[in-house]
Amino acid sequence: MLIRRLKYWLNSAKHSEALREEMELHLAEKTAELQADGMTAECARAEARRRFGNLSLTQEQSREIWITRFWSELGQDIRYGFRTMIANKAFSAVAVLSLALGIGANTAIYSLMESILLRSLPVADPGSLVVLNWHSRPPQNSNRQWEHVIHGVQGILWPGDKGTMVSGMFPYGAFETLRKESSVFSTVFGYFNGLHHNLAVRGQATSVSTEYVTGEYFRGLAVSPVAGRLIDSEDDRPGAAPVAVISFATSLHRFGGPPNAVGQSILVDDTPFTVIGVATPEFFGVDPETAPDLYLPLHTNVLVDGAGSARMYGDENFYWIEMMGRLRPGVSMAQAEAALAPRFHQWVSATASTDGERARLPALILNPGAAGLGSLRRKYSKPLYVLLMMAGLILAITCANIANLLLARAAARRREMAVRLSLGAGRFRVVRQLLTESVMLASLGGAVAVLFAIWGVRSLTFLFANGQENFTLRAELNWNVLGATAALSVVCGLLFGLAPAIQSTHPDVTLALKNVGGGGPRRAQHVLVVAQIVFSFLLLAAAGLFVRTLNKLHSVQLGYARENILLFSLDARQAGHRDPEITAFYTDLRKRFESIPGVSSATLSDASIISADRAGKTYRGTIKVSAVTVLGASVLTTGPRFLTTMQIPILAGREIDDHDQPGSPPVAVISERLARTYFGNEDPLGRRITFLDDKRDLEIVGVSGNLRYGGLKNEESPMTVFVAVSQFSPDGMTYALRTTGNPLMYVRSVEEIVREADSRIPVTKVVTQAVEIDRTISQEITFAKLCTGFAVLALLIACVGLYGTVCYNVERQVGEIGIRMALGAQRGAVLWMVLRRVLLLAAVGLATSVPAALSTFWLVKSFLFETQPNDPGTLALAAVVLLSAMMLAGYAPARRASRIDPLAALRHE
Amino acid sequence: MGRKPQKNDSLPGSLDMLILRTLSRGDLHGYGIVQFIQQSSDNELLVEEGSLYPALQRLELNGWIDGVWGVTSNHRRARIYEITAAGRKQLAVETRKYSKLTLAIARVMGAE
Repeated sequence: MLIRRLKYWLNSAKHSEALREEMELHLAEKTAELQADGMTAECARAEARRRFGNLSLTQEQSREIWITRFWSELGQDIRYGFRTMIANKAFSAVAVLSLALGIGANTAIYSLMESILLRSLPVADPGSLVVLNWHSRPPQNSNRQWEHVIHGVQGILWPGDKGTMVSGMFPYGAFETLRKESSVFSTVFGYFNGLHHNLAVRGQATSVSTEYVTGEYFRGLAVSPVAGRLIDSEDDRPGAAPVAVISFATSLHRFGGPPNAVGQSILVDDTPFTVIGVATPEFFGVDPETAPDLYLPLHTNVLVDGAGSARMYGDENFYWIEMMGRLRPGVSMAQAEAALAPRFHQWVSATASTDGERARLPALILNPGAAGLGSLRRKYSKPLYVLLMMAGLILAITCANIANLLLARAAARRREMAVRLSLGAGRFRVVRQLLTESVMLASLGGAVAVLFAIWGVRSLTFLFANGQENFTLRAELNWNVLGATAALSVVCGLLFGLAPAIQSTHPDVTLALKNVGGGGPRRAQHVLVVAQIVFSFLLLAAAGLFVRTLNKLHSVQLGYARENILLFSLDARQAGHRDPEITAFYTDLRKRFESIPGVSSATLSDASIISADRAGKTYRGTIKVSAVTVLGASVLTTGPRFLTTMQIPILAGREIDDHDQPGSPPVAVISERLARTYFGNEDPLGRRITFLDDKRDLEIVGVSGNLRYGGLKNEESPMTVFVAVSQFSPDGMTYALRTTGNPLMYVRSVEEIVREADSRIPVTKVVTQAVEIDRTISQEITFAKLCTGFAVLALLIACVGLYGTVCYNVERQVGEIGIRMALGAQRGAVLWMVLRRVLLLAAVGLATSVPAALSTFWLVKSFLFETQPNDPGTLALAAVVLLSAMMLAGYAPARRASRIDPLAALRHE
Repeated sequence: MGRKPQKNDSLPGSLDMLILRTLSRGDLHGYGIVQFIQQSSDNELLVEEGSLYPALQRLELNGWIDGVWGVTSNHRRARIYEITAAGRKQLAVETRKYSKLTLAIARVMGAE
């Protein structure tokens, strides 16, 4: 009947209409009949109406049959539910609070997922945008040598299915070919990440992120400017007047508002541009991971990055430009792919010169572009799924816990239910009323959860950003997320309410009326407690694994100093300094930094040791020692006193110092492992190392200790070659200052010195070495912190659940315990009797959870470092913690049981 | 509101029974049901429209009758009601109850 009622309710408008039509027909027939009896048409109509009575009242009554009872009963249930909730304040508070935590955690993580995985670009009709990608077999041939039509890249490749590699970069020729395919696309536009450049406005320089875009970019995205106009095809051709579009934020910070910016001249590095327009506040380009401050026409990269970049346009084996297209109306992505893939294949085949290259041709694929590029998704989707799983476990524990408490309460309410049932209430009616109560609890929990979620989103974003200034994740609670929360609350309410509701309306009414307990709810309670133990164990063990991973990472032997080092970057070349003066400029700056009081030494290098985010360029070609090629060595271009500043031990010879000048013989310092591997027991000092592509021979003047270069998780001691900045033409540089006290205290002096030296050069990426190291393991830190938090929460909830269960059982056994004690049972025996059951539950729980952990933990294997997912120590520790917590939770009621006064207990009976 | 003296709620629930009985002879629309009851009772029972439609809805809600759109004898679109299997069962129950009751009443009246 409920289903019929529901169907009616869903179609209520249609039903009302049918009823109205039906009654009108009735009137018409009556009228016809009366007319046949000889009445005039008018009289007949009036008489028919008169006899029918009040038409709308009848309609109303007919409708009420279906609806009113349903709603009035719901109203009754809700009122009754409120009374019950208020009558059990403590229970309601615990339930609402723990649900709020569980639902809140899920909401927070879901809103992050929503912003990363699901949200569309803020442009018109994002659904018709597609990203052009290609995939191909791995580029190495059977001799592990690179053999691929790609001879050079500027951008990112990522792994696809089955060992393939995937990317979105293309040669310019491919872009020109594909943009002619106007049968499927209304527009094809290209862009590439211009990284950071100096933006000078009225003599004030800052470092800004830049995007080079083709003339069709803004038209293809269908965005409009806030002020001025956007870049179009006329602006993007060699020789056009250099123009720029700036982001809304940049217009605010640098010009005091969009209208002031339009028409202004700016310097990008050393090239004059004119600002022609400002993008809208919500526009962030096509990649949610970045937020360019500056959009420049594609071809202006020749002006900014130097004439050398002009050859990018003609080189058919150099992959650099990325593309998106807007599908014509009615064209599907599959159709477009079918049309474009052969065209690209034809083009790319012509660029292959060997059979090996022909065997690994990239094949064009299209991906949905509505949400922009997938770099954020690739980076965060797996961690977020793991986090969501943890939050889901928390919610499961919470639900189990509340179901458990409800079961205990249901047992207490058995008499009430039995009375209601025997007075003739339908079982379904009573179940419905109980379910209404639990859904109300859950809804309240969901409402409070929104508060937790707001806080949670903030702290999660903070954790994920981990101090990065340009973090672009814009998570927020929106209707989509709130809807999911509401749905989750209702589902939880039904989930934890159903079993107890059915249990407490079990039809053995007479038994309940006689106040004799059955075994049913107890068994259900035990199953729930065991489930909670299992879930808590999973979270505890996972937390243990993550903490262990973090400890391993923290105890990695760096080979260089972590504390008291200040890092910052600057790029004199972008501000117009050229060889050979630039070397002198950098050297002079280093000396000035070293003279800051409190700075014991200063140095510079093309990249910080830890970071892959390098400031400048370095040698990446072939390295040889005599005739042997050195494999797996990285080159670090450094200034004087690098080893001293970083506290890397000098094992032999000397480090690079001020004597190494542009004119003096070129020198290199090599790390111990390189020396061992390529010189064996011979003394490397005075021997030569060759940079083949630069046609340079360097004299080895020193041997350093091994150091972990480029990340903690990298190979234990990669081989390193240090060369002198002054002997290589430098770009941007990262300076390192060894300080006394907090390194960040010296930032002001540093900025002053740089401004004095050249006000056009902004100081960027200011950070302490310790923080920079922690950034590389931010995911591990996040996981360890969050999972520990979750585990503690889970343990707490499970303990409350166990405590409640034991208390309830003790209360039911008061009589039995009283008799035992009256018959001479010792307190210890009673204590043991209660604790034994706790132990049994814990044992069953652990026996279930260890296999569960072993079979699910491979999921997190990729998040671990030098830790096996089945690490026995961690599992054992989790078991011990869990067991102690369980005993603690069970001890209080057990103690109370042992203090029972037998006389009082028996009288109570 | 023109209530009729002949309104037939002297026996509670008897309207439902009358409708079910009427429909058990053949499918009819609302007006047809009124007509049938009136004619077959020699105009003794006059079904008030105000209670007919709520009754029809109630019967449908209980799953005893089903309403479907059809065409009347004079070619007008109307909701035609038919009795369901559950409805027939209910009719049997009510008929039994009814005859018990009338018998009891007759006895009481006869004893006077």
